[in-house]
Amino acid sequence: MEERLYDLIFICRPATPQEELDRILGVLEHACAEKGGKMEKVERWGVRKLAYNVARQREGFYVYALLKTARGDLVHELERRLRVQDAVIKYLTVRVDEDLRRQRKHAQRRELRAARRPRKAPAQAESGRAGTGSGEPAASAK
Amino acid sequence: MADEQKPEKEQRSPEQEAPRPEARPAGPRREAGPGGPRRGKRQFFRKKKVCRFCVEKIDFIDYKRVELLAPFVQERGKILPRRMTGTCSRHQRWLGMAIKRARNIALLPFSGGVEGSGSTHQHRERGERGREVREREPKEREKES
Repeated sequence: MEERLYDLIFICRPATPQEELDRILGVLEHACAEKGGKMEKVERWGVRKLAYNVARQREGFYVYALLKTARGDLVHELERRLRVQDAVIKYLTVRVDEDLRRQRKHAQRRELRAARRPRKAPAQAESGRAGTGSGEPAASAK
Repeated sequence: MADEQKPEKEQRSPEQEAPRPEARPAGPRREAGPGGPRRGKRQFFRKKKVCRFCVEKIDFIDYKRVELLAPFVQERGKILPRRMTGTCSRHQRWLGMAIKRARNIALLPFSGGVEGSGSTHQHRERGERGREVREREPKEREKES
C-alpha cells in the first residue's frame, strides 16, 4: 500500500504542562514505531481561544502533527491512545494525501497551460476557466 | 431585475460596479429574499462577482487557516451561500467541507457569536457542575458556580 498522509490535530487543556505534552507525543510516536508510521511535522500552536466550549474550557492548547504511514489502522490506534489521555479534550484526524495530490495536479495543469499559451493577460485567461468552460479540452476534467 | 430596487441598491452596495474579489457582502443580509430575482423582495444580485478562489488560483482550501474561512461565515456561524460570496460551485463545496472540519476542531463556531438570540441555539450551555445555564437578564454568560 502506498504512503498516506494525515493531519492530526489534538487539543489539550490550556493548563497542561509541557512535560505532559511531551509525554503524550511520546506515546503517539511509540505507537507509530510499533505500527509503522512517522510523525513528520509536529507543531505546537499554543493556547488558542476555542470557538465554543469544550469540556467546559474556553481555551485549549493546540498541537498539530503531520502523519505519514502506509497503515490505515495506525490512525485508529493513535486516536485510541489520545482518547485515554485526560489532558486531551478534542482530536481530529484528516486524510490529506489525496487533497494534496489534487492540488498538485491542478497546479501542474495550470503551469502547463500557462506555458502553452502566449501569456498576454494571465488573470483574464484564468478567470475565464473558472466560469464557463473555455474551449480548452484540459479544463473540463476535474 | 426590478427597476424600483435600483436606487436602493446603489445606496447600499456601491461596489456592484467592479468585481472586487475582496468585497464582503456588506449589506443587511437579513433582508435578502429566498433567492431568485423574480421575487419582489430586496435582492443583492451580484452578477459580476467572481469566485475569490478561482481568481487567486487556490486549489486547496485549508481548514486550518481560519483567516481564509472566516469571511465566508456569518456572525452567527452560518456558512454564507454562494450567491452572497460569489464563489463557484466547486470551491463552495470545498469551502463547506473545510468550514465543517474547522468547526469540529473548534476553530470556527457551529453557532453563536450573537448574544441574546437564544432561540437558535442547538445545545444549551452547561455550567461548571453540568447543570444548565439559563439565559439571564444581563445577557452575560456567567457560569453557575
